[in-house]
Amino acid sequence: MLVLEGLRKEYKNLTAVDEISFSVEPGKIFGLLGPNGAGKTTTIRMILNIIKPSSGTITYNGEIINHAFDKLTGYLPEERGLYKKSKVIDIIVYFGQLKGLSKIEAISNAQLWLKKLEIEDLKERKSGELSKGNQQKIQFIIATLHNPEVLILDEPFTGFDPVNQQLIKNIIVSLAQQGKIIILSTHQMDTAEKLCKQIFLINKGKEVLSGSIAEIKKKYASNTVRIEYENASDKISALPGVVQADVFNNYAEVQLENNIAPEQFLKTIINQISLKGFSIIEPSLNKIFIDEIKKDFDN
Amino acid sequence: MTINELNKIFIVAKWEFLEKVKTKAFILSLIISPLIVMLFAFGPTLLLSHQEEGGTKPIGILDASGKYFLPAYKKISAFTLKNNQPAYIVRNLYNKASSINALKKTADSLTLKNDIDGYIFITSSNDAFKFEYRSPGSSAFKDLSRFERTLNQVRIESEFRKRNADTSLIRITSANVTMNPVKIDKSGKEAKNDFLVTFFSSFMFIMVLMMTILSSGGMLIRSLLEEKSNRLIEILVSSCTAKELLGGKVLGLCLLGLLQVLVWAIISLGLLGNNIIPPEAFNNILPMLVYFVLGFFFYSALFVGVGSVVSTEQEAQMVNSYLSILLIVPVVFIAPVIENPDTVLVKVLSYIPFTTPTIMLIRLNASHVPVSEIFLTFLILIISTAAAVVFSSKIFEIGILSYGKMSNLKEIVKLIKRR
Repeated sequence: MLVLEGLRKEYKNLTAVDEISFSVEPGKIFGLLGPNGAGKTTTIRMILNIIKPSSGTITYNGEIINHAFDKLTGYLPEERGLYKKSKVIDIIVYFGQLKGLSKIEAISNAQLWLKKLEIEDLKERKSGELSKGNQQKIQFIIATLHNPEVLILDEPFTGFDPVNQQLIKNIIVSLAQQGKIIILSTHQMDTAEKLCKQIFLINKGKEVLSGSIAEIKKKYASNTVRIEYENASDKISALPGVVQADVFNNYAEVQLENNIAPEQFLKTIINQISLKGFSIIEPSLNKIFIDEIKKDFDN
Repeated sequence: MTINELNKIFIVAKWEFLEKVKTKAFILSLIISPLIVMLFAFGPTLLLSHQEEGGTKPIGILDASGKYFLPAYKKISAFTLKNNQPAYIVRNLYNKASSINALKKTADSLTLKNDIDGYIFITSSNDAFKFEYRSPGSSAFKDLSRFERTLNQVRIESEFRKRNADTSLIRITSANVTMNPVKIDKSGKEAKNDFLVTFFSSFMFIMVLMMTILSSGGMLIRSLLEEKSNRLIEILVSSCTAKELLGGKVLGLCLLGLLQVLVWAIISLGLLGNNIIPPEAFNNILPMLVYFVLGFFFYSALFVGVGSVVSTEQEAQMVNSYLSILLIVPVVFIAPVIENPDTVLVKVLSYIPFTTPTIMLIRLNASHVPVSEIFLTFLILIISTAAAVVFSSKIFEIGILSYGKMSNLKEIVKLIKRR
């Protein structure tokens, strides 16, 4: 388990990260979310041991991280690029060796990954000749080649077409299933919502929100349901227990009184209108993110 | 330093070396740099000696005194080109029927029409003679000195004859004395102390040193810039420490520099074999090599540190040109130091690490430098290189992770102090 406790990083006139704490369990993808300049990169750099925190600790399986931890981490930075004039296989092997692999291990792992990402035929090419998406695959390989226990991925999906996004998503999920610690930093809230079990929302260096996605959604649930019907649009607002309703031709989004559970409401209305569909509306992570960040900036 | 650290330094060094060795820039610098050095060193001489091969030149003599034409004609016509063709075809431009002024006009127009390259114009009043070589362009140095010598001989011969002196004396009187400087030292060794030998030897070493530092330093800054702009640097420093990365880069750079020097050494050995470079140029080869290597390490360490602060192409060029100036300044001193190798200023400059390699490379050839002084300057260079490495690694640790505007000197100093 990776644990950050009271982590703080100060620069001359700026506190980039201010007393944040969270822990990441193996096997569950962890979302580190926040707007630009919120302190995500600084946090990642501290986890990667690139910079030292001003105060606070980072421990991995109970031990404070040091340079021996370097071998256990893999990192995909947000900005993409490789040594343009060097051969793909050479670049992969170089980074693999720096992470402690032998040359033979690095080459055989590289073959495996190149095959997995369907770019085996590109290994002798110069990286500058590859398409953006393929370069990104190489970078992904660099991050995972040495089979790291802690994998930090900064916006891993941008720049990929939908087919390759799915390919990478599947690989990330299977890595998590293998029991790896995966920290996903992204702006794509729908992706985070689908992949992450836990999230940590950071803004201006401080924690805004954290916890499991299910809990967070419950907390932000507004007791709203969506009903679909035929020829009943004029009756909706008058139904019992409705606080407010956005009514459209064939469906409506209805906010209920706090003491009325959705299933109770369903029982009441089922005989009153010809119902086509019924669902509980959960606030999207995107909406929660925007609302919370806005609130934070207003303060 | 642990085995693990050394291993990482070695991996980085190997990568830097192998990737740069393959670049076009490196291969070009390997070939072009010695060409430039040779051009500087031998160009002027080659130009002078090649003028003769222009072919036979038509020239004229207009002798108003009537005393010089015949003997001068004989002697000038005797000069030959390498292929045994006559070097000059000489025309007599004198004619009793015309006035000197008219003849001069005709001769001038002949020259301007390119019928002749130029002409020797001799006038006399009383017993004083005046000689001119009149031609449309600036005259070739070699031609002028030949004509001067010839006419001097003719004049001396005619004076001797006038006085009925023994003409065999002429050869004796016209032979000149040349002073050969010989450098001696306590051990009783003697060496030809030729300004040109000293100049070439020191100059070649200094030029090669400069080119090596500039080309590999420039490559280093560009590659750091690439790593910074695509954030590869972050993957690198999450895999090894900044010190290991710096160590690997400096080591790779030095290997690259040494390879360059090796190739150039082989080239110059080839030239030595062909007597193009005088063997005296390599009299002090061992200490010279040490100065070379230490100087290279010192400047490379500085380059890495300063280079890490750069985050755009423009800044890279700026930093590069500052460092180049720093390198070029000592070159200004080459000629004065050769002439006066033992002044106080020169001694002071030999103890400043920025100028130590250059100045000592000259002094070694120009005068006898005490062994104690050689070792003292070695020590100064070693200590300054160590200091440069410490200084650079501090800047490096901060510099490689800063992407914004280049920090100014004040900020860098503050950052270093704070750590």
